[in-house]
Amino acid sequence: MIEVRDLYKSYGNTQALQGLSFQVFQGEFFGLLGPNGAGKTTTITILCGLLEPSSGKILIDGRDFNSHRKTLKLKLGLVPQDFAFYPTLSARDNLLFFGRIYGLWGGRLGERVRAVLNIVQLMDHAEETVKTFSNGMKRRLNIGIGLLHEPEILILDEPTVGVDAQSRNAILESLQALNRAGTTLLYTTHYMEEAQRLCHRVGIIDHGQIMALDTPLALIQSLGEGLIRLELNRPIDGILLKELEQKGTIKIVDDEGRKLHLTVRNKEGTLNEFLEHLEKRNIEIKTSDVLGANLETVFLHLTGRHLRDSLV
Amino acid sequence: MVCQIIAIAVKELKVLWHDLEALAVLFAMPMFFILVMSFALEGVFEAGKKGHPIELLIVNLDEGSVSRQAIDDLKRVEGLALIETHHGIPLSIDTVEQLIRGKRYPMALIFQMDFSERILQGKKNMPAQETTVSLMVDPVMSQQLVAPIRGTIQGILERSVLMAQIPQQIKQELARYSGLPLLSGIGKPLEEKFSAQYFKEKGTAGIMFQTIYPRDFKRDRMPTSTEQNVPGYTIFGVFFIVLTLAASFHQEKTDGTFLRILAAPLTKASVLIGKLLPYYFVNLIQIALMFAVGVVVFGMKLGHFSSLVLVSLALAASANGLGLLVASIGKTEAQINSLSVLFAITLGALGGMMVPTFVMPEWMKTLSLFTPHAWALAGYHDVIIRGLGVCEVLPEAGVLLCFACGFFALALWRFRFN
Repeated sequence: MIEVRDLYKSYGNTQALQGLSFQVFQGEFFGLLGPNGAGKTTTITILCGLLEPSSGKILIDGRDFNSHRKTLKLKLGLVPQDFAFYPTLSARDNLLFFGRIYGLWGGRLGERVRAVLNIVQLMDHAEETVKTFSNGMKRRLNIGIGLLHEPEILILDEPTVGVDAQSRNAILESLQALNRAGTTLLYTTHYMEEAQRLCHRVGIIDHGQIMALDTPLALIQSLGEGLIRLELNRPIDGILLKELEQKGTIKIVDDEGRKLHLTVRNKEGTLNEFLEHLEKRNIEIKTSDVLGANLETVFLHLTGRHLRDSLV
Repeated sequence: MVCQIIAIAVKELKVLWHDLEALAVLFAMPMFFILVMSFALEGVFEAGKKGHPIELLIVNLDEGSVSRQAIDDLKRVEGLALIETHHGIPLSIDTVEQLIRGKRYPMALIFQMDFSERILQGKKNMPAQETTVSLMVDPVMSQQLVAPIRGTIQGILERSVLMAQIPQQIKQELARYSGLPLLSGIGKPLEEKFSAQYFKEKGTAGIMFQTIYPRDFKRDRMPTSTEQNVPGYTIFGVFFIVLTLAASFHQEKTDGTFLRILAAPLTKASVLIGKLLPYYFVNLIQIALMFAVGVVVFGMKLGHFSSLVLVSLALAASANGLGLLVASIGKTEAQINSLSVLFAITLGALGGMMVPTFVMPEWMKTLSLFTPHAWALAGYHDVIIRGLGVCEVLPEAGVLLCFACGFFALALWRFRFN
């Protein structure tokens, strides 16, 4: 349904996207998981035709987005990360306005506004000025506006940022319901638990590139039982590296060769064997920790960074 | 596309309605100016000073000594600068009319042919208009400014005429009494001859001093101070839309609503047109309201309605263009606020909203032509004060539209939706 081919985008000397490619299938709940600044919002902005890529192509239903922009835009619904509506107008007035922008008028518009107010559970507050809304209500209205014209593809940019747990749950349930009703969802987030819960497939994005793309389960299973992080007092040599590689996947994550990531099938057994090998070489472990298998750990293993921005 | 434009316009009106404070300022500020300043500044305009003299054109069709003496006396008046030639050629009535119409000079003093001869002959039966001195005045000039200048010129003129007439009169009277004993025979008649009553009956020093307007002045009466002042305040107020408009564009950018709108299948032009239309109409309502106050409260006459509408449409377009330009230049709310105030105040002052351009130094007069305010003021003065029609205000309306096009072109070149 959506095919992103080799997308590049630079802002001056900053490369926001560096050959980004992925596909989203019809009816899929697709997640783009990455920290702030990874290129998620840039990807979405280009996908909605609000920004021109430096190079690359986007196909929607096999048609070039650039050449059929007006028609294809109708298939897309956008839910931006920031609240994008008029706070001095009521919820209904906001919905009426954005509905008209998408060409809805008369009875059909009224019908869609009512339907959306029900979906986002704001019917009782329809006439209230939006600036009086709670954050959760504003988030729901922000999503509702994207649903007005019944888009085939709903693109959501971090739609639950700054929302309390209860509202977040309500939003996620609504999105799952939409997906079950046939809407394709492209969803960006830096909350790994959301991606794990909602998405059929997840693309892990960092520095404008897809680092891995699979189902959440497959990505997590690629870590085996988990991830062991070690920091040694001196770098390991080539022979030791070969010996260690027989015990599991090993990845050196710093330039000096003192920081290692090990993905293993048997955490306890493997760690003991590692320790023995290191002891023989008189290499000491300065720090170590064992992380459970989840998307956060997958991201950490792939990028050396946490999803929420702090460096390892 | 039309539906989408309407949708944007209706939404924008709703947003405006919800920001009552901004609307209140927009309407109250110019109304305040009209009401307070029209009352307070009546008669406060000051005449020219030594450094900035009022330029007085002189048309001397007379070849005699009286007019020459009067001109020499006027030259000695501080605050007046006399101009007798244009491109080296002595001024004619047609030339001064042209120069006053072209707003290059505010007034001209005209001495009729044989003025000196008639004054010196002192023919009792001579019709008054034959010894007339005319002060041709641009009707847009404030009466408060004209009155003292007129008084000064008239006083000096009368003195000059008297100085020329008295020896002549004495000579004539003495001739009547030649051969008689001087003290007993001529004392009383001479006293009567030069009494105040004599000159009152005769007319002011035997001349008639009148104020006239160029021939294109089509009004049946002199313009009132309100008719002269309200257009200026109106234009001043209209340009305050710059702040409201630019701030609203900035708000849409920062809220991300522009981008959300542009995610829909519509053009950027539709967004801009829909967004600008309400401000354009607010400007027109503003203008109507301000002139309505002038008409209802001060009994102002508006002149040719179509001409007034034409100038107003062009004025609102240029104000909106400037607003979009500020929106495209200003990156923050504070920048937009200061830019708007800067444009509104400085362009307004330069364009003659606070001080009439003819009392400005020459370089400022030239600079004022680069403000839409000056052209709008000229347009309104043409309509309201000179009573001119559509064809005659086309140049002003055209220049205002050029300003609008220029502002829009620059704005669109710089404008970003995010």
